[in-house]
This record gives sequence, C-alpha cells and structure tokens, in this order.
Amino acid sequence: MATPPPYKRQKREEYRRQLTNATTDDAASVKAPQKRFFRQRAHANPFSDHHLDYPLSPAHMDWSSYYPAFVDPDASKTTPDGARKLVKDVEIVDIGCGFGGLTVALAPLLPETLMVGMEIRTQVLEYLNSRICFLRAQQQHLKNKAAATSSESPAPAATEEEPVQKTSDKPADEAGTTTAVVPGNYENISAIRANTMKFLPNFFGHHQLSKIFICFPDPHFKARKHKARIISESLNAEYAYVLRPGGLLYTITDVEEYHHWILRHFQHDPETQAASGGIKDLWERVPESELEQDPCLRVMKFETEESKKVTRNKGNKYVAVYRRKADPEWPA
Amino acid sequence: MAQFQHPLHCLQSVQRQPTDLLIGSAGQRIYSYAAPTGQRLDVWPQNVDSASLESAGASVTEEQAPPEKRRKLSAEEKLDKPTWSTIPILKVSPDGKHVVAVTAEDKSIRVLQLNEDGTLRQLSSRTMAKRPSALALTPDGKTIICADKFGDAYSLPLIPSTDYVAEMQSEAKPYKPAATSLTVHTKRNLESLEQQMRQAELKAKKAEEKTALAFEHQVILGHVSLLTDLICVPSPTNPSRSYILTADRDEHIRVSRGVPQAHVIEQYCLGHTAFISKLCVPSWAPELLVSGGGDNYIMLWEWTEGRMLQKIPLLDSSEATEVIVRGIWEVSFAQVAGMDDPLRAILVALEGSSQLLCFTLEKDSTLKQQLPIQLSGNVLDLVAIESRNAIAVSVDTVHQQNSTDTWKPSVESPQMLLECLQAENQVDGLHWNPSPDPLAGHIASQGTTGLGEALDDKQKKALAGSLYSLGNLRKRSWDE
Repeated sequence: MATPPPYKRQKREEYRRQLTNATTDDAASVKAPQKRFFRQRAHANPFSDHHLDYPLSPAHMDWSSYYPAFVDPDASKTTPDGARKLVKDVEIVDIGCGFGGLTVALAPLLPETLMVGMEIRTQVLEYLNSRICFLRAQQQHLKNKAAATSSESPAPAATEEEPVQKTSDKPADEAGTTTAVVPGNYENISAIRANTMKFLPNFFGHHQLSKIFICFPDPHFKARKHKARIISESLNAEYAYVLRPGGLLYTITDVEEYHHWILRHFQHDPETQAASGGIKDLWERVPESELEQDPCLRVMKFETEESKKVTRNKGNKYVAVYRRKADPEWPA
Repeated sequence: MAQFQHPLHCLQSVQRQPTDLLIGSAGQRIYSYAAPTGQRLDVWPQNVDSASLESAGASVTEEQAPPEKRRKLSAEEKLDKPTWSTIPILKVSPDGKHVVAVTAEDKSIRVLQLNEDGTLRQLSSRTMAKRPSALALTPDGKTIICADKFGDAYSLPLIPSTDYVAEMQSEAKPYKPAATSLTVHTKRNLESLEQQMRQAELKAKKAEEKTALAFEHQVILGHVSLLTDLICVPSPTNPSRSYILTADRDEHIRVSRGVPQAHVIEQYCLGHTAFISKLCVPSWAPELLVSGGGDNYIMLWEWTEGRMLQKIPLLDSSEATEVIVRGIWEVSFAQVAGMDDPLRAILVALEGSSQLLCFTLEKDSTLKQQLPIQLSGNVLDLVAIESRNAIAVSVDTVHQQNSTDTWKPSVESPQMLLECLQAENQVDGLHWNPSPDPLAGHIASQGTTGLGEALDDKQKKALAGSLYSLGNLRKRSWDE
C-alpha cells in the first residue's frame, strides 16, 4: 500500500491549486501568495541536467508572455518561432532571485527598465510568479479604483506621487502588498526558471545587460563544492560577455570567506593580485564613495529577503560592485 | 589462429622532409609509419613485450570499472608498464617535431619527440586534474590547450620549462570554516558547525593541503559543462591574432580570444539542439566553422559573427534514429582528375557507421552533399594525404559494419586497419576509389597488437566503450 503524502505536502498542494484557480478569476479577488507553501531546500546542483526550458539563442527567446505590457504593437516583428517581440530588451538580471525581494523592490525604482529574476528552484520560482501576478492584478485594481475616484474629485495628478511615499514608511507584508499605485505597476519585472551557470548566453546577447545582481549566493561551504559557486573567474568572463561596458555587477554576501573568494575571482584581492592580464582586464571595482548614491545598492542591502534575514540575525553584509570595462586591446 | 588486432583509434599525418609520416594510436601504443610505403618505423612505448601486454590486457577491464585514479609513478615505472589501456587523443605539432598524446586512465598529457627517422621518445608527462577531453596546439605550436570533463581549459607550454617551481602552499593555514555562527541559523547547522570546529582542531597538526599540479599551467577559460571539443585557429582577417573555439555538452560553441586573453568571449554560435561533439574550421576557409553533435545535423557557421549559414540534415526526415557526429575533417587537393578547381571537401563520420559523408564547398559558401563513401568497417579516424589526392581512413576491424557491439564472426586476413581512397571527379559527382598505394596493405600486414584470444564480454564491452564513447554525452530523457 502506498503511503499517503505527508500532511504538509497535501496542504501545500491544496493551497497552490486554489491559488492557480483564483488567478483566473477577476483581478480584485487575487490573494497574495504565502511563502510557507513554497519552501524548498536552499541548494540545487548546478551541474545536473534539470528538466529546463531555455531558448535556442537570445533571438529565439519569447519574452512576450513575461512582459505583456511591453509587447511591440507591430505584430509583424516576431522571433524565429513566431512569438511577438518586445519594444525593448531585458536589461537587468537578478541571478538567483529566490523569493524575489530584490526584483520586486527594484521594480518601481526603474519603471521603464525590464528586469528578470532567474532562479533554479521550481517551487521558489512558482511563488515569485504568483507574487508578480498578484502585484500586477492589485495594481490594476488600484488603478481602476483611482480612476473611479478621480472622476468624482479633481486633482488626479497627486495620486501618483503621494502613495509612493506612503509605502516607504509603512511596513509591507511579505509579498509586498501596497495600497498605492507604483511606477511601472510591476509590469517591468518577471521571473524565469533557469540555470544561469550553464545557460545565461542562451537568454542574453552580447552586451545586452546593464546590471547583474548576485545577492547572497549559495555559499557552498565545503571546498569540494567550490566549483559550484556562482562567482568564478570563468563565469565572470561569461558575465562580462552579457554585460555592456559600463554595466555593473553587484554582489553581496554574509559569508566573509565568500566575499574574499569574490575579490579573488575578480582578481582584486590585494593579497593574491595577479601581475597583469586575466579577468582583471574586464572589471574594475566601484569605490564605496560612488556606491553611496546608488539607490539599487540600498535595495540590495536592506530589501532582499536574505538581507532582511541577515539583519535580523545581526550578521555582516559584504558588498562588492564591479564595473565592466571595455574589452582590452588585442595584444600586439 | 590469428587474433583480432587493436584498430587504429587516432591517426595523424606529418608532412616533412625527408619522408612524410603517419602516426597512429592503437590500444596502449603509438605507431609511426613512413607515409608512402607504410613501413613501420617505431612503436611507443617499446618495451611492452607480449607477455606483459597480455597481463596488462587482462587488467584492462578491471581498470575500466572503476578506473584507477591518480596513479603517481616515477618516470621509469611508466615506461616499463603502461598504466593506460587506450590513447584517445593524438596530435602532432605544426612543425611536425612533436607528438602530443593523452593516455586515458592516468589522465596524462605526454609529449613525445618525433625524430627524423620516425622514432618516438617521451619528453614529458603531465598528469592533469581531470581526464582531458579535447586538446589543441596554438597556431605557433608552442602551447598546448587542453579541455577537460570539468569544463575547464588549461594552457601548458609544449616543452615545460625546467626552472618552473611549483607554487607551494606557503604554510598550511589553520582550518577555518567559511561558515560562522552568524551565517548559519538553524540549530542543526549550528551543531554541525561546532562539530566541524572540533574536528578541525584534532586534524590541525596534519592538515595537508591538496597539492597543486606541479608544472606550469594556467586555467584560461571554463564552461559549467563538459567540454567536448576545442580548437585553436588564427583569425580569418588578421593572422597574428588567434581564437579558441570551445564546444560543450550543453549545445554551446563559444568563441574566445586566444591566450592570453581567453577570458574575452567574443561570440557564441547557438543553434544545436543536442550536445556538440566536433568542431572544424577548414584551413582553406578560415571564416567558416563546421560543427556536429548529437542532433542529426551538421551546421555551417560564420563563426566570428555567430551566424549560422547552413543546417544540413544527416538523415532523411523519415528515419527515426539518432546519430552522432564522430568526426569532421577538412581535405583540400590542388588537382583532382576531372576537376578544374581545387577540391575542397568536408568529410563527416558518424559514430559506429561505416559510411563517410562527403560535402564539397561551393563558390557561394555552401556545402553540397556528394556521394557517401562506403568502407569495410566503422570509420574511426582519417587523414588526408595531399600529395596523392588521397585519404587514409582507419576502420574498425573488430566490429561488424554499422555495429558497435557485434563482433565480426571471424578474423579477416589481412585485417585492413587502414583504407586508402583517391578522389576522382566524374559526371555524376565526386567518387572515391581505392588507391593503389602500398600504404594500407603494408600497415595491415604488419598489424598492431593483438587483442588476445577469446575475450570475455566484459573485455569486449570495454573495447567498444573506448572506441565509441560519444553516446554517453546524450542527456537522459526526462519523459516521466
């Protein structure tokens, strides 16, 4: 006799079934997803052949379902497989976005920039997808309400700006529910399941991106597992391929040893600095003074799920931001 | 009764004075032949007498599963008894003076000196961290670029400098776990961290850092995937620049700059839908790349742009089987009977197939399929012999045609380890006719080493595994 699945899983499946059914109903009734039904072990093996979907090449990627608000009105522009194209390219990637804290928090800051969170764990991704879906529906609902009230009372211009202020001093719940219309209406963010260590160049072309975030990566403590770390000299070469010159790669970790690993693998560790050449040709570290003005950094330091957890535990946060330099000259 | 002989796994031709040479690997050994006559000039390693070979042959299967790892032997011992069963990679340096061989089980790159009289002498042996899966020499012939199953590519000088001092770990650092009580949060993780600390204290005295490779080497690039092929080619527009092209199991072809800027990725050629097994940039059309793998197509690229020019099916759409490209070779003959222009052809062999597919490059930079070439056994490797408009193809004399597991019922006499074919243009297309050269016949009569009498199934499987291993690259299907 087959043993029934544990009670927890049963509840979880039931919950998610309801959630998917609910999204098909009208926008107002969509509820925020709850994280506890989407927990997943924090590690994934980046070397295994997961059942992954990835485009043949960046040109083949169908982004239209991810950013419906940005689909090019010109229906004649299509990918080789016949999918509609977008009016602009995705520019910001959050590698290992987890539950999407950073992606969601960045969305109103850069409302006209398309961002994508990439995550290898299916359940976590499923949560983020329902979260984005919920946020978009909520925005739609709020906009409709605002339109209805503004038709009665004048001064509709103020509604856009004032509520944004409100969100910052009112603690939001875990899914980021707001009562305000935010710039971009979360139409500029999306999430995809991907193994970026293998397939980043399938999604993004040469110099397509302006920012890459790698926040609190899996530390892979054992030396035997270091090969699985998402920062390495060989992967940094790949990040340099997709990032345009002048673009930024943000890293943050709460593991000091990993921070030094990052410095070492960008060859900026004063202890083991290589004489010349190597990956160092492609990256320069952005000085602290310059970072103070960067709103993205504040979001990364304080608004991602992991960083909140680290703050709660009074842990340390180590930040390193690198700017992509132009390709070096060919040696003579 | 005659024994089955080890087929020639790899072939390389060496064009040089006074005579051209042919280098082949079969089983544990490397053979050198004079190219026009087929006379055997040398065998390396030499002092493997048949008795020790028999015993080595018997232990082959044991070594296969699980293979012996990381055997460290002194130089003398290595020559006495080969610790490997096959030599899957063989390259000749551009000046024809050195042979670079990879021996399978001991993961070593061996550089042999190829003397004028065709004799071979080992100069160096370097054991890599992982078994090399592909190897190339830079166009200047001074550096070996080697790719491994872990996805890393290394550069090594062809001739290791004698004054290199291995970077030793300065002093055994006291163990300090990367995790701290601030980074682990659950009770269980905290407990295990404490345990680790206790263990570390106990072991602190004999803490032994893993020694790095004790020779000059550099990691130049890496994929998070198994590297299947690697080639090093000069730039089509600027011959002083070179590029490294790497192919992996996850359908990527990466174009990077040559050493020392291999971390600058210039391009990806994306379009294959299964692993890639072979890359070929013809020397007579350096802007083109031909690639093949496990997806029933070969693709023609303008590789500096990452642009696919042509996608050529290898099977009729009606056939449901899957094929794997085993090898892609370029041939170029200045003058072929019945042709005005020089012949420029791409030859493609499929894994476990006795047919050789032939394509010619047309003036509009497309490949045109010609009549396939039928051989007496599965194609293993081939070399072009430009001076005679011929190709020498090494064939599997052990297995039946188009089979990788069924053995031939009896030993043929002589075992044609090599077939020579000459190109001739006829009205209905390009034909390849048996060449009258004595090369093939002479090599066959001298033979290689015997496989031994009455092999059991395990040994047979091991041989098939070493000759036909590309199928392992296929990803498991996930239809649940």
